[in-house]
Amino acid sequence: MTHIERDHTWPEISFQDRMDTVRFDVHERAHITVDGRTCEGCSTQACVVACPANLFVPTSDGGIVFNYEQCFECGTCYLVCNEEGAITWTYPDGGHGVVFRRT
Amino acid sequence: MSATAPIAVCLKWTPARLDGGPLGPDAADDRFAGISPADRAALELALRLADRLGTTVTAITAGPAGAERALRDALAAGAERAVRLDMATDADSRDVAFELAQSLADAAIVLCGDYSLDRGSGSVPAFVAHHRRIAQALGLVDIDVDTATAATVHATRRLDGGRRELLAIPLPCVLSVEGSLATLRRAPLPRALASRSAHIDVVATPPAHHHGAPAIVTAYRPRARVMPAPAGEVVLDRLRRLTDAGTAPSRGETVVLEPPAAAARIVDALREWGYLP
Amino acid sequence: MPETPDVDVIVVGAGPAGACASIELARAGLQVVLLERGPFPGSKNMYGGVVYPRILDELIPNWWDEAPVQRWVTRRSTMVLTPTQALTVDFRSTAWGAPPYNGATAYRPDFDHWLASHAEAAGAQVLCSTTVVGLLRDANGRVVGVRTDRPDGDLRARLVIACDGVNSFVAKEAGLHPPVDAANYTLGVKETLALPKEVIDERFGVRGREGVDIEILGGTGGVNGGGFVYTNLDTIAIGAVLKLPKLAAQKRRPEEIIAGLKAHPAIAPLVEGAELKEYSAHVIPEAGLAMMPKLTGDGLLVAGDAAAMCLAAGIWLEGVNFAMASGMYAGRAAIDAIRAGDVSTAGLAGYERRLSETFVLRDHRKLKRAPHLVLSDRVQHVYPELITSVAERMFRVDNPEPKPGLRRIVTSERKRLGIRRRDLARDGLDGFRSFG
Repeated sequence: MTHIERDHTWPEISFQDRMDTVRFDVHERAHITVDGRTCEGCSTQACVVACPANLFVPTSDGGIVFNYEQCFECGTCYLVCNEEGAITWTYPDGGHGVVFRRT
Repeated sequence: MSATAPIAVCLKWTPARLDGGPLGPDAADDRFAGISPADRAALELALRLADRLGTTVTAITAGPAGAERALRDALAAGAERAVRLDMATDADSRDVAFELAQSLADAAIVLCGDYSLDRGSGSVPAFVAHHRRIAQALGLVDIDVDTATAATVHATRRLDGGRRELLAIPLPCVLSVEGSLATLRRAPLPRALASRSAHIDVVATPPAHHHGAPAIVTAYRPRARVMPAPAGEVVLDRLRRLTDAGTAPSRGETVVLEPPAAAARIVDALREWGYLP
Repeated sequence: MPETPDVDVIVVGAGPAGACASIELARAGLQVVLLERGPFPGSKNMYGGVVYPRILDELIPNWWDEAPVQRWVTRRSTMVLTPTQALTVDFRSTAWGAPPYNGATAYRPDFDHWLASHAEAAGAQVLCSTTVVGLLRDANGRVVGVRTDRPDGDLRARLVIACDGVNSFVAKEAGLHPPVDAANYTLGVKETLALPKEVIDERFGVRGREGVDIEILGGTGGVNGGGFVYTNLDTIAIGAVLKLPKLAAQKRRPEEIIAGLKAHPAIAPLVEGAELKEYSAHVIPEAGLAMMPKLTGDGLLVAGDAAAMCLAAGIWLEGVNFAMASGMYAGRAAIDAIRAGDVSTAGLAGYERRLSETFVLRDHRKLKRAPHLVLSDRVQHVYPELITSVAERMFRVDNPEPKPGLRRIVTSERKRLGIRRRDLARDGLDGFRSFG
């Protein structure tokens, strides 16, 4: 069984700088909402690891805080979420959300 | 002034959106072009005023064919007529204003956004007012019209220090509004669909009289200033100096002097605090 | 009395599938509305790098003269990585650098925008910034239109074609999808990195508009999936495709996995010193035929990623071509059905028939085992080391020891890695049945 564990010598930029390379036209309506109370009993909290935009933040009391503004609208969170109904997922209002340019 | 004279809204089409991060200036392309939030607020306000005064809205922009997208969006939102002055996006403000004034000779109110996406000098509204010899007001955060007479606009203007100025502006007039004033309504689907093939008046313009410097598309940034390095042996001390943390506020005083003396005192203080060389 | 339709066909989503469907429909003289939720077609789209546009021969002759292509892929590498080793199969063809070409790298916001402009030119009404939030149905459950997020936002049509991407809420609402299983999906994450064109040419050994596509097995930090590197004109794209349940279970963040890939000794020299221009992510319908929904409902067709028309079969990684083709065939089937006056599931049977007769479903049927095999634990975590260590021993000169035979090396490495002969034989047979 190989498991790649190596020193990351690559000079990584901060996650905020990484997200700053992406353009978002944020709408005032949150298109994804998370019921933090449901998350308190969640043992996996898979969304925290899997969300490529790192928008799910675990809180000290076991819940989840979610920010919708820099969302890629990819769907990973609701796909990995095993708590029925914890994530309410819609697309942002037309014309808003992520705008890719060189992808 | 007739209450049925149209309300005009001027939309500044800017080739590249400037909040695009490192790609911004490269992406000079209609996909990333648009109008400012202030222009959108002006359009929304024009639609509301037209509704109350029982008149219509004419949307106008100066630019190449690509700029018609802004006009189609305005038609979708409720504008009755759209006019494009066929000009380059970097045309001189004086030429743009002259052509706008010609096309908008009958407008009761000319609404503009307070700033464009490329943060220009804001000179076009002033030139339009000049050409039409009518009043101009800018930096407006609230507008109301007496519908009975439709002769005067009552507006609130933002001043420094949180103050407001109340203005009574005789019609016709040119008004520039801030982006926070109103959120542009969402265009209904039937109008949005119809706008894709709607008619747009294209006005050919004569060769430019003025040849301004080409617009340089750069992000808006406040001016940099030199700060002296904070004194202190250890990092914590220097941080304290930088942030004033844990100390009584050392800066700031109220100057009660005659204007010339007050100006001199302010300059001295700014120099002392490192804001001026 | 049923309400009269506003238009003939509504196409949801202006990606490659929606654009090609609209081109066909509009050219046949039908009234088409193409709805796109982004501010322009392509603005929501991202992929793992290469488009194979030959299917466009049928829609846009000499498409290569006008398509917004970054580079033509003339060099195709498949790389197997372990932490310290890399084995690459590297193929080049000058034929792929001239019409009709083979694969191309392109930015989707450019490519999809261009393709949708052909739909508009053909007469389709393209309306952007409009999100479809639901379906309109009649008393019998037939789809008769869509509800958008605009005021007064209902639009009726004889037929709706759902090309609304991998999350396809339209096809889901119509009940065409089986229950969603995260195991059928992968997450694609990508960095677009800027380097001067000359530096890219030099590092990747190409000239002019020639480009490179490198597909990578291993190097994804223990998460089942794969990696990719490919060249645009003055940027490099590097990214990973990650199996969703594994990603969550391994507790590795997607950007850490890209960082690991970039730090690999075989990759680092290619991307060193490049500046991050854009980070992006998208979900991929990875499981192919195994996750494909019903493609037809009463008054509804599904195409592109919405129908899981994405071929993730190891050495073949395609999607845009399947989207374009399925959209085109959906358009043709819709034309027939509308002309015949029957848009029921039966009347739309021409869609699935066309897909079955062409590469779209034939490739998927032939390769139905491939996605599972490629993402299996042995292929992901054991075989890369088997392959690279066999290569290392083959090429190592161990004098004064004499050279061992290949068979002896394979047997001893297989035993060292604890691979049962039976599993190797079965996977080999699976691979042969898929790829052979």
